[in-house]
Amino acid sequence: MKKWVFFIFSLLQIVWLAGCTEKSYEPIERDQEFIASFNIQEPSLDFIDEDGNTLATWVFDQAYSGAVLLGDDRILLYGHQIGAIDVYTISTGEKRYSKKVAIGTTNVYYDDSIQQFFIANSKNNTVTSFDQEGNALATQQIGNYPMSMTSYKDKLYIVNFKDTKLSVLNMKNLMIEQEWPIQKSSHGIAVLEETHELWIGGHGEGSSPNRTVKKYDLTTGKQHGEIEMPLMPVGLKKTNDTVFVVSHGHNILYAADFAGTIKWQQEVGANPFVVEQFKDYIVVAGYDDHTLHFIKDGQQDKTVDVGKGAFQLLVREEK
Amino acid sequence: MKKIATRIWLLIFAFLVITVVFMYVLTDFLYQRLYVQDTEDTMIEVGLKLQTMYDSGKVADEFIAAIEQYNDYSNLNIFAVRNPRELSACVPFDIDYETLIGAEERLKLLSGKYVQKIGYEPRFDRQLISVVIPLVDQNRLEGIIYIYFPLAKISELANNEVILLFISAFIFLVVVSYLIYKGIRHIMRPLSELQNAVEQMSYGRYETRVPVNSRDEIGKLSSTFNKMAEAIQQEDEARKTFLATVSHELRTPISYVKGYSEAMQNGMITEQRKEETIQLIVREANRMERLTNELLQLARTENEQTNIVLYPIPLGETVREVQQILTHQAHKKNITLCVDVDDALIIQADEVKLKQIFINIIENAINYSYEGSKVEIIAAEHSGYAVITIKDYGIGIPQEDLSHVTERFYRVNKARSRADGGSGLGLSIVEQLVKQLQGKLEIDSVIEKGTIVKIQLPLMEE
Repeated sequence: MKKWVFFIFSLLQIVWLAGCTEKSYEPIERDQEFIASFNIQEPSLDFIDEDGNTLATWVFDQAYSGAVLLGDDRILLYGHQIGAIDVYTISTGEKRYSKKVAIGTTNVYYDDSIQQFFIANSKNNTVTSFDQEGNALATQQIGNYPMSMTSYKDKLYIVNFKDTKLSVLNMKNLMIEQEWPIQKSSHGIAVLEETHELWIGGHGEGSSPNRTVKKYDLTTGKQHGEIEMPLMPVGLKKTNDTVFVVSHGHNILYAADFAGTIKWQQEVGANPFVVEQFKDYIVVAGYDDHTLHFIKDGQQDKTVDVGKGAFQLLVREEK
Repeated sequence: MKKIATRIWLLIFAFLVITVVFMYVLTDFLYQRLYVQDTEDTMIEVGLKLQTMYDSGKVADEFIAAIEQYNDYSNLNIFAVRNPRELSACVPFDIDYETLIGAEERLKLLSGKYVQKIGYEPRFDRQLISVVIPLVDQNRLEGIIYIYFPLAKISELANNEVILLFISAFIFLVVVSYLIYKGIRHIMRPLSELQNAVEQMSYGRYETRVPVNSRDEIGKLSSTFNKMAEAIQQEDEARKTFLATVSHELRTPISYVKGYSEAMQNGMITEQRKEETIQLIVREANRMERLTNELLQLARTENEQTNIVLYPIPLGETVREVQQILTHQAHKKNITLCVDVDDALIIQADEVKLKQIFINIIENAINYSYEGSKVEIIAAEHSGYAVITIKDYGIGIPQEDLSHVTERFYRVNKARSRADGGSGLGLSIVEQLVKQLQGKLEIDSVIEKGTIVKIQLPLMEE
């Protein structure tokens, strides 16, 4: 009888200790270029190379809702309903650290120039800056439901998703410098240095979907005009000479010059939310068809199946 | 404690309530199954047919218009939607907008399957049955056909009927339970009469009887009760009579003894009559002794009805022994005892009891025979039994008294002097003893001709 009790107790301990060990994922070599698709329906990351081969798939048991690359070899994972962020080293596949944060993380933005990342929180409507090791630096209260973020020079631009204002913050100390009026449910942001503009997409309010991308002056916040890109343009990517926009309402990828003239457009994917540039390709992630569409010279070149609910694209290229 | 009628009534009432509730649930279930299911089936059928109008690509204005036109002529509410916002296209985003279809429904629709819903729809602010048919082109949810039918139309209709149903069920319950109450009371009335009668009996009113109106269990119970009451009454009367008789029988010799001995004490009896008087006193004392002995014996035989051990006895021997005992008594009246017994007869009996039977009967025969006549004792086998016949040629017993002679203290000649007669217990004792020996007693008599007593006793089993 005693032997049995001891045996079961040992077995339980083994299981418990095994549970303690951190889960590690398939590593990706440091010099390997990839585009990674973060899929949110069953949280996972698919690492894909230039040829469309899947290098590795990281499947998570946590309800992560987004990921962001911190430099070249780290990836940060966050979740809207998770009270922590986890940072993994890509070349080892192991967790580097985990940090407690407030529940309600909507987005994390990393600025390479100052090597800090910013967490937008929808529960207390704040943005907080952190150093590479996850130490909080500064916090600022901004508008309702901050989400889309980008930076230019020393400024951090944050779209308040459920608000009618965009907050412009000093990246160093997070002091609010400006607040621009924008449309509610705005999402997708791109900085055009060349024309000194900020382009913003959006879903639109209520039942009426948004059809345009708005152009704002990067310094004053004055609206310069808008580009008709139906329906619900929310994914923006600026390249050397083009701004690519995906409208998820009509599944259309628009290629516009910096003046806002549409050069070409193409129906691609099912309900795509993001577009990215990877090597010679423009890659669009279809949320409903769970597919990455690789487009080259305005033509669909190949497709790669990824996990359910492809929602974000992370690109690592040699500079 | 509750009355049994109330309990039966409560039981039936409970069953009635259960039945009504069950019927309601069943009706509701059938309504759900048949009506709602039927409406849903129609909606799916119509939706799938309309779906074939869609080919591929964006949902065209013409398609929307065609669906609208169909809607004008249909009793179902049908519309097509192509606004991606209504189709939960912004699903990963926290949109403050109640879309027409939810995220999970979108997933199902994307896979090409239709969605059925039943319940409250905030968009229409009412209860609906709805069916959503997807318009899918290459994994893209280009639009939907939304068909709905207000449940209220069905349930409002049903609501009125539900109230009616409840009211009628209530009335039904009230009426039926009243009728059942009345019915049970009617059925149970003889039982309560019976209960009253039993109560009366327990107070000693043995004349109580209940009316018997039916032939069911309660009717049978009532008539059995009546019989029982009659038996108790008779027994009670017999007991009273017996007590009266016993005290009377004892008082007579006691008053003789008392009277004569007082007379002697007071010197009222002359010297030459003293001897005679003492003899009289002794005779009366003997009578008293005999009477008490017989009473004792009777009481004892009544008590030991069971557990009598019977054993084989040669009948002839016993009869001759009895003859020996009674010869002296017979000689006094100059009566001859003629014995004719088959010596081969061996019966199953108890010797003491057997002798007592013969003595009592033969004594009676001697007592009621005329002087100089004879008493015949014949024993023979008859169909497996020994039959002993004792026949005298005496005064006989009148027909009307014949059936009563075995009753205690019954006397044929009531006027006869007790000094001459017996105690009136002899034949009672005989009857008891014969019964104990598993035999039968039969008395036949013709007045002034004589009496024949037949005793049938079991022979020894071989």
